[in-house]
Amino acid sequence: MNALEVRHAGVPGRLEAVDLCLPRGCLAGLIGPNGAGKSTLLQICAGLLPSDAQVSWSGRPLQELSVLERGRLASWVPQEARFEFGFSVRSVVAQGRFAHGDDELGVDDAIAQFELGDLRNRPVNQLSGGERQRVLLARAVATGAPLHFWDEPLAPLDPRHALDLLHLGTRLTRAGSTILFSLHDLRLAHCLDYVAVLHQGRLRAAGSPGEVLTPELLLEVFGVRARTAPGLVLELP
Amino acid sequence: MPSARLLRLALPACILVLLVLVTVSLAVGDMPLSLKQVWQGLLRQDELAATVVWQMRMPRLLSALLVGAALSAGGLVMQAYFRNSLASPGLLGVSSGGAAGAVIAIALGWASLSIWTLPLAAIVGSAAALFAVIGLARSGASTERLLLAGVALNALLGAVTSYVLSMHTSLYERNSQILFWLLGGLEDRGWEHVLMASPILLAAALLWPLGRQMDLLSLGAREAQSLGVDVRRLRHSLLALAAVLTAIATAVAGTVGFVGLVVPHALRLILGPEHRRLVPVSLVGGAAFVLACDLVCRSAGGVKLGIMTSIVGAPFFLWLLRRQA
Repeated sequence: MNALEVRHAGVPGRLEAVDLCLPRGCLAGLIGPNGAGKSTLLQICAGLLPSDAQVSWSGRPLQELSVLERGRLASWVPQEARFEFGFSVRSVVAQGRFAHGDDELGVDDAIAQFELGDLRNRPVNQLSGGERQRVLLARAVATGAPLHFWDEPLAPLDPRHALDLLHLGTRLTRAGSTILFSLHDLRLAHCLDYVAVLHQGRLRAAGSPGEVLTPELLLEVFGVRARTAPGLVLELP
Repeated sequence: MPSARLLRLALPACILVLLVLVTVSLAVGDMPLSLKQVWQGLLRQDELAATVVWQMRMPRLLSALLVGAALSAGGLVMQAYFRNSLASPGLLGVSSGGAAGAVIAIALGWASLSIWTLPLAAIVGSAAALFAVIGLARSGASTERLLLAGVALNALLGAVTSYVLSMHTSLYERNSQILFWLLGGLEDRGWEHVLMASPILLAAALLWPLGRQMDLLSLGAREAQSLGVDVRRLRHSLLALAAVLTAIATAVAGTVGFVGLVVPHALRLILGPEHRRLVPVSLVGGAAFVLACDLVCRSAGGVKLGIMTSIVGAPFFLWLLRRQA
């Protein structure tokens, strides 16, 4: 059974009849040029945007799930967050347990995983963009949900935190979770289990990165020529 | 971060301040009463003191408490809804909407039909103003947009009220009533006004359990939805509560500005932004603030309550604007 199934995801002017299936335990990337419809598709998958799409999580149609159940089954992280009020880092991460009756389970682990221990009492409206992103990701992980939809989580992160996140994503998916996230770094996309390419609101290709990310496709979709050459490689020590 | 001890003591401290203010409020006035007389009056052991306490001071006191709690909680709700700490009933025109509704009801002669006509008209006015603000500046809109929407609405609704006022200048009685709504005050509030304000207690009880969800909503509607909050339902509840709280307070005391801005904001600075704590403390703190302002008004020879809260609130608002810039 697929962890995620989406049929006919469409929003007039933004996205057209996209079908997508992800097996359980899959670390999947969503790529495409600016304005291709990545954020829209992620919100439809997460059940946050009204549309005619048929979405099901682990075989259960979304409309059969209550809002609270959805909060337990999937997380969503927006591309950028604006915080008006000065909630502490810890209390924002703890919001991830709302759908579980605020049981605080795994909150401190999530804080440690994203190296937020020193910031735990800091107001979130005083953090840098990358720190805010880590707080939101920690909240998403704290939900303990089996499905995650993250919108460009790597963009504001420094190189090491980006690699840390990929590492964590790999661990979570090996433990049975499923993650779909949008990204722009095509080299990182090569390390994933699965990539889906959106172009002008349509699903252009999907599959394993080796098969999908051909030089022809990259030229057509992104307008760039791909060439393999020795260069800088970053890894976790 | 506020210390755990401060957080534990906040609500008891607010209640203590409130009790002191209540006692002082019952004791001072044209006919000063000693603490003993207040007590005897409360227990109806002293007839004169009982008349002063129960007939003259208690209804005004209770009206002040309910109006203060309502305006403060209304401000807190609107700040969470609009995700903006400068949102408040006065600045966004929701109070003006309530006043316009009330003034129209009075001018048409409906207010004398039943005790509930006036608050109902005020609720309609406040709700209309609230929907207009939402239309002009969606939740999460920038501060500038939100405040400009409020400026426009306040001007429009002020014009409506002034028009009704100018059409009824021949009738002295109506005119003084209409002026009362515009300036805001608690003079001559009797037991019927306490009855009129009593739905505020129900609204406060309904608001109480929503604190946790307000936390999540105040950091973003989609985010809250993804974490399991039924955002549609929560927003409807919050809008209804904001409109009812503001409107009833306006129907009882006229437009009393800045309470919904000053009290929740000051308490948030001291206690942090968690609504489970802010809801009860704002209710009690708002009641104490308006009661204190009304005490000063009474001591200052009948200054209008709306003027007093503006004298305190407007500089605070300007300070906040400067701080945000």
